[in-house]
Amino acid sequence: MKPLPHNLPSPHVRGVGPRGFPLRLQATEVRINPVEFNPDFVARMIPKVEWAALLEAADTLHLVEVPKGPIEGYEHDEKFLRQMHHVLLEVDVLEGTLQCPESGRLFPISRGIPNMLLSDEETET
Amino acid sequence: MDHEAAQLEKQHVHDVYESTAPYFGDLQSKAWPRVRQFLQEQKPGSLIADIGCGAGKYLKVNSQVYALGCDYCGPLVEIARSRGCEVMVCDNLHLPFRDQGLDAIISIGVIHHFSTKQRRIRAIKEMARVLVPGGQLMIYVWAMEQKNRHFEKQDVLVPWNRALCSRLLSDPSQPGRKPCAHPERSHPYHPPCSVCSCSVCFKEQGHSQRSHSMDYEPLTAGTCCADISKEGEEENGFSNMLGKSFRSWFFSRSLDESTLRKQIERVRPLKNTEGWANSTVSIQPSRHSSLDLGRHQEPLSTREQSLDEDVFVEASQKQLEWPRAPAARKHLRGDQQGEVRRNGDGNFLEGANTSENSMNEDDVEEGHPSASKTLRRISALDSTDSNSEETIPVEEQQPGILDSRAFMRYYHVFREGELYGLLKEHVAELHVLSSGNDHGNWCVIAEKKDNCD
Repeated sequence: MKPLPHNLPSPHVRGVGPRGFPLRLQATEVRINPVEFNPDFVARMIPKVEWAALLEAADTLHLVEVPKGPIEGYEHDEKFLRQMHHVLLEVDVLEGTLQCPESGRLFPISRGIPNMLLSDEETET
Repeated sequence: MDHEAAQLEKQHVHDVYESTAPYFGDLQSKAWPRVRQFLQEQKPGSLIADIGCGAGKYLKVNSQVYALGCDYCGPLVEIARSRGCEVMVCDNLHLPFRDQGLDAIISIGVIHHFSTKQRRIRAIKEMARVLVPGGQLMIYVWAMEQKNRHFEKQDVLVPWNRALCSRLLSDPSQPGRKPCAHPERSHPYHPPCSVCSCSVCFKEQGHSQRSHSMDYEPLTAGTCCADISKEGEEENGFSNMLGKSFRSWFFSRSLDESTLRKQIERVRPLKNTEGWANSTVSIQPSRHSSLDLGRHQEPLSTREQSLDEDVFVEASQKQLEWPRAPAARKHLRGDQQGEVRRNGDGNFLEGANTSENSMNEDDVEEGHPSASKTLRRISALDSTDSNSEETIPVEEQQPGILDSRAFMRYYHVFREGELYGLLKEHVAELHVLSSGNDHGNWCVIAEKKDNCD
């Protein structure tokens, strides 16, 4: 699971405030996958980044060299784009959890796949 | 009722896909052209979700977008993951995304697995919730109206026989993997030939050069295996083999409304298919023109990845508009529901091949009269009266027709205009941009309105 911040799911648990986004990421196993650098693609993702969530995830994953926010002229700043490319696309959480900050509910990530299914009780209408 | 509906879906959707997922792993299946086009039209850098992605067929169609796959079925999601897709396991009714986070969503062959209208609406509304204003949603559902097949009711159980699939996979005479896709091609046109009762007859009518012609072109009812043209040798061998083996598998069981409700409310785990004999499920005899061994479409779904979605993409750029489905309309015998907006003017067209359209029409024209006759003939023979069907106990059926190992998948097949109507009446946050019929599916593209939700 890649930690694209807007990708970070919001738990849809009833009774949990308005959409409890974002979830807290904890990882016990992370892999770095080289992905071909496409500056245009990365540049287009930047406006969608939720920076607070990204920085929190980066911190959790002990990533270094993560920009703190979009910089002026980022579209043409290769260094910036490469750093963003790395954190958005090359980091893969294989094992870990996503936790709802309000309810504490944990969603497992295993073999790179988060399981966001809610139990019957949680979905009772 | 909702809990019971969920139980029905668990038994006849989730559990089936989970059990059959291992058989789909190897099979390559290509994307529906119209869905591919929708994905390719999205702006670069868009965040797209395939809700009901199955084994991830659509996730790599457009490398310029960030595609996320979601499916209820863990094993299918694992397959997608192994192909390098970004995926998660989740429930269409409880999407783990914040409001207005996604630029586009596709839902291909998913909504038809929800067993109540309310749940279908909820699924659509949930997808609308997570769309940004201006974001688009494409929905494909299996159509009740099929050119050469007849669904008696809208709620059906469709068998899937893994033994058959395995047999095909191991048959050395098979031309590669494609044949195995055939039985699972849920909807489009695999009408049993009413004359010789061959399960699958291919009359290629020169359509073989078209991208998905083999799979999805309507067959003229009444043609026999003998008429198969030489163009597709693979298909020849395959259909001959199919003819021998598949005959007994092409039927679907219908649940009428009261039966469905009873079934939903019963919430009784059925250990084996004999259990059905005790319920008032209408069972269509095998000679009936239902040839559903799999899910619709393609794509399909939450499930979507299955054998049935094999589209031959030789000429993928053709046929970019909604094909009109005049045959389907004629089937309805004048029940022209005007609310379905056609996109026949070809808004999606980019160099549409008009000759193909005319071929389409020819097909239809040619196929229609015989199709009607076929239907009538079958009706006379097989007594489609639901009462008599309900009284056919499973045990009395001919051996081979019912395999206790067959998995039954639940579908609610949609009538023309139904999907459109559902959005229009119950999902105010979406504005329908277009609707049409694509290879036996009703399809809709809708846009999230501004200042909603």
